[in-house]
Amino acid sequence: MKQRLKLEGRLAGHPDSRAWFTAWSPAGSLLASCGGDRAVRVWASEGTEWVCKWVLEDGHQRTVRKVAWSPCGNYLASVSFDATTCIWRKQDGGFECITTLEGHENEVKSVAWAPSGNLLATCSRDKSVWVWEVDEEDEYECVSVLNAHTQDVKHVIWHPNGELLVSGSYDNSIKLYKEEDDDWVCFDTLEGHESTVWSIAFDQNGDRLASCSDDKTLKIWKEYKPGNEQGVMCNGSNSCWKCICTLSGYHTRTVYDVSWCPNTGAIATACGDDAIRVFEEDPNSDPHQPTFSLVAHVPKAHAQDVNCVAWNPKQPGLLASCSDDGDIAIWRYEAELATGCST
Amino acid sequence: MAAQLSGILRLTDLDDFIIPSQECVKPVKVEKKPGKSSGIIRIEDDGSYVQMNLDGGFQKLEKAKITLNDCLACSGCITSAESVLIIQQSHEELYKVLNENKVTGSQHQKLVVVSVSPQSRASLAAKYNLGITDTARRLTAFFKNLGVHSVFDTTFSRNFSLLESQREFVQRFRSHNQDNKALPMLASACPGWICYAEKTHGSYIIPYISTTRSPQQVMGSLVKDYFAKQQATTADQVYHVTVMPCYDKKLEASRPDFFNTEYNTRDVDCVITSGEVLKMLEKEGVSLSNVDPVPLDSMFDSETEEEMIGHSGGGSGGYLEHIFTHAAKELFATEVHEVTYKTLRNRDFQEVTLEKDGAAVLRFALAYGFRNIQNLVQKLKRGKLTYHYVEVMACPSGCLNGGGQIRAEGPKASKDLLQQVEELYSNVKVQAPEVNQRVQELYHQWLNHSDSNSIEKSLHTQYHAVERTSSALNIKW
Repeated sequence: MKQRLKLEGRLAGHPDSRAWFTAWSPAGSLLASCGGDRAVRVWASEGTEWVCKWVLEDGHQRTVRKVAWSPCGNYLASVSFDATTCIWRKQDGGFECITTLEGHENEVKSVAWAPSGNLLATCSRDKSVWVWEVDEEDEYECVSVLNAHTQDVKHVIWHPNGELLVSGSYDNSIKLYKEEDDDWVCFDTLEGHESTVWSIAFDQNGDRLASCSDDKTLKIWKEYKPGNEQGVMCNGSNSCWKCICTLSGYHTRTVYDVSWCPNTGAIATACGDDAIRVFEEDPNSDPHQPTFSLVAHVPKAHAQDVNCVAWNPKQPGLLASCSDDGDIAIWRYEAELATGCST
Repeated sequence: MAAQLSGILRLTDLDDFIIPSQECVKPVKVEKKPGKSSGIIRIEDDGSYVQMNLDGGFQKLEKAKITLNDCLACSGCITSAESVLIIQQSHEELYKVLNENKVTGSQHQKLVVVSVSPQSRASLAAKYNLGITDTARRLTAFFKNLGVHSVFDTTFSRNFSLLESQREFVQRFRSHNQDNKALPMLASACPGWICYAEKTHGSYIIPYISTTRSPQQVMGSLVKDYFAKQQATTADQVYHVTVMPCYDKKLEASRPDFFNTEYNTRDVDCVITSGEVLKMLEKEGVSLSNVDPVPLDSMFDSETEEEMIGHSGGGSGGYLEHIFTHAAKELFATEVHEVTYKTLRNRDFQEVTLEKDGAAVLRFALAYGFRNIQNLVQKLKRGKLTYHYVEVMACPSGCLNGGGQIRAEGPKASKDLLQQVEELYSNVKVQAPEVNQRVQELYHQWLNHSDSNSIEKSLHTQYHAVERTSSALNIKW
C-alpha cells in the first residue's frame, strides 16, 4: 500500500498526561485539545509550525475529556470528569469561562453543539444525555434529560443540518433522539455492535453514520425515509437507520474514534493498537451495500492508544490525532486523484 | 431503565424521572465471624454465591438486603426507592399484619387503618371506569373485606398541609427582608424532590424548603395521635397504611423524623402504591366493579361522608393556587377569583403572577420533572431565581403521573390514560380548607390552637443535608 498519510507535525500537547480529544474550529484555523492535565489548549499554525496560542486552565478540577466548538466559532465547550461543562467565550485575543453547567451526577464524557448553535448536548457516566438551550444572553437552561441508555454514555453528536441527536454507549447501542411536543424523545435504537460504542460520526450530508466500537469493528448505517424504494420498514413518520456495512478484521484492538471527512469522504479511525487507519468507499459500490477499502495505515502513529482523529473541516486531507502518550499529531492525507494522475 | 423498576412500574414514554444512581455504596453485607474461612467463593449457575468451608463443604452465602433507612442515609443515589428491595413496605407486609390479626385474640389485634390518596383513587377509578365517589366506596369495601378497620382519605389531612403552607408563606414573605433565605419558599410535599435536594444540594437548598408536612405525614400524625386516642388505644397498636401514587412516599414514611420514639412506631407503617392495590385486587381475584360499595368512613364518631371532596389547583395538591390566593388576600388585600397560569419553557414549567399598580408583587411558579428542577436549582444557586414560591414535583405532569400509578402500555395509551385520570381527579366538588369545620375543630381540640409547639410537632418537619461519602467502590478515572 502506498503511504498516503504523511506526518506534518507532532506536538507535546498534554505532556505527562493523556491527550484525550482534539477539535477543529469551524473555520479550520484553530485546533483545540484537552487532556488529563485538566487543561484545554488552543493551537494555530504559524508558517509550517503549529503553536499553542492559549492554555485554558482553572476551568476544571479533573481530566478534560472532550471539547467542542460552537458553529459560529466564538465559543468552546469543554467537559470533564469533574461532572461539569465549561463554556468559554473567545474575546479580546483570549478565552474566558463564562459559565459552568452543573447537573450530571458524575463524569461528563462528551459534548456537541447543534448546527443552529442554540442547543448543546452532553452525556455522562451517569447514563444520561442532557440537552441544553442557550439564549442571546448566554444563559443555559436544561431542556431535557434523556435516560434511554442503560450504561455509561460515551459519545454524543448532532446531525450536520437537522435537529437529530445521536449517542453511543457502554450498553453497546446507539440511540437517536428528536424533539417531540416540548421534550426530546429517543425514537430509535441501533443495535449490532457487540461491545461499547466509543464514537459516532455523520458523513457530510448526514445520510450515513459511522460508528466504532470496542468490538474492533466499524459500522456504516444509512438512513431510510418512510416509503423508501428499497422497502426498508420504518416506524411511523420516523426514518429507519440500517447497518449497510461492517468493517471487521482491520483493527486489532478497540476502535476509540472515527471521523468522516466532509471534503474527501474518507473515514479515519483511532485505535487502541496505536494505529491510525483511513478507509475509502470503493468507486461504483452499491449505495445500499457499499464496500470500503483500507487506503492508509500508520501502525505506530503514536506510542500508545490513539484516542481521537479529526478531519479539518476546511482543508481537505488535514487530520489531527491525539493519544495516551500525550502528543497531538498533524497528518496530511493525499486523496487519490480522480483522473489519471495515479498512474 | 425499565429493567431497574419493579414489575408494575414500567415507564415507556417518560425519560424524565429521577433515576437510581450507579453509586449505591451498600451493595454487600460483610458478616464477620470469628475463626478462619477459606476465602473461596464460587458463583453457582443460578447466580447464588457459595463459600467453601475449611472442611471442603459449601455454604450458601446470604444476599445483602438494603433497607430504606440505608437508602436514606446514603449519598450514593439521588432517589432510589424503585431500585431497592422494598421488603419493609409492600402489600405483602399489609397481608402479614392482617393475617396475624386473624390468628391472635382480639386484645392483641392491631387496629388497621388505610389512608387513600386522591391521586391513587383517580388512578383506580380510571382503571375500572368508575366515578370517584363510587371508587372510594368500593375501595373501602375491598379493604374492609380483607380485615382493615378504617379507610380514610388523605384529602382531609391535605387541608392541614395547605393551611400550614399558606401560613408559613405569609410569615416567610414578611420576614424576607431580615432573612435572605426566607424566599423563595419551595414546596415540601414531594419526597422525590426532598430526597434529591438533601442528597445533592444539601445546605444550599434546604433553608428554602417549606417545613410543612406532606398530607401523608399529617395523616400519620392524625391517625397515630388523634385517632388512636379517640379509639382508646396507643400509636403502636395502630397499623397505618397509606395508598400513594409514588414509590418515594415509602422513603418519606421511613424518615427518622416521622418515627415516634415514645411508642417505637412510625406515623405511617407501610406505603403501598396504586399499582400495588391493583396487584392486591388481582391476587384476590376481584374486580373493583364487582365489589359492593359501602358507606365511607370518617374519623369522627358516627359520621359518614356522603361524597368525596377535593381541592382546586391541580393533581399535585394545589399548593401554588392555595398559597397564592391566600397571600394575595393577606399581603395585598386582593381577592383572586381565577388563577391564570402562563406556560413557560414547557408544560411542566408555569408561572402565576399578581400585579399591583403595574408591578408584579407575587411571582409563583410550578416546576415539575427533573429538567425543570435542574434549572430551578441552578438559578437559585446563582441568585437568579425571582420567584416567591415554587411548587416543585419530581414527576413530569405531577403526582397524577406518579411512578406508583397504574400504567398503560405505549406512549399514546399513557397520554390518554393520564388525561382520563386528570379528568376524574378534578371532577369532584372542591372546598377551600378554611371552610372545613372539622379541620377548624381539630386545630382547637387536637392541636390547641395557641400551642405552636404541638402544631410544630404534628404538622411540620425538618430536613437534613446528606454528606457525600467517598468510598473505595467509587474509584474514578
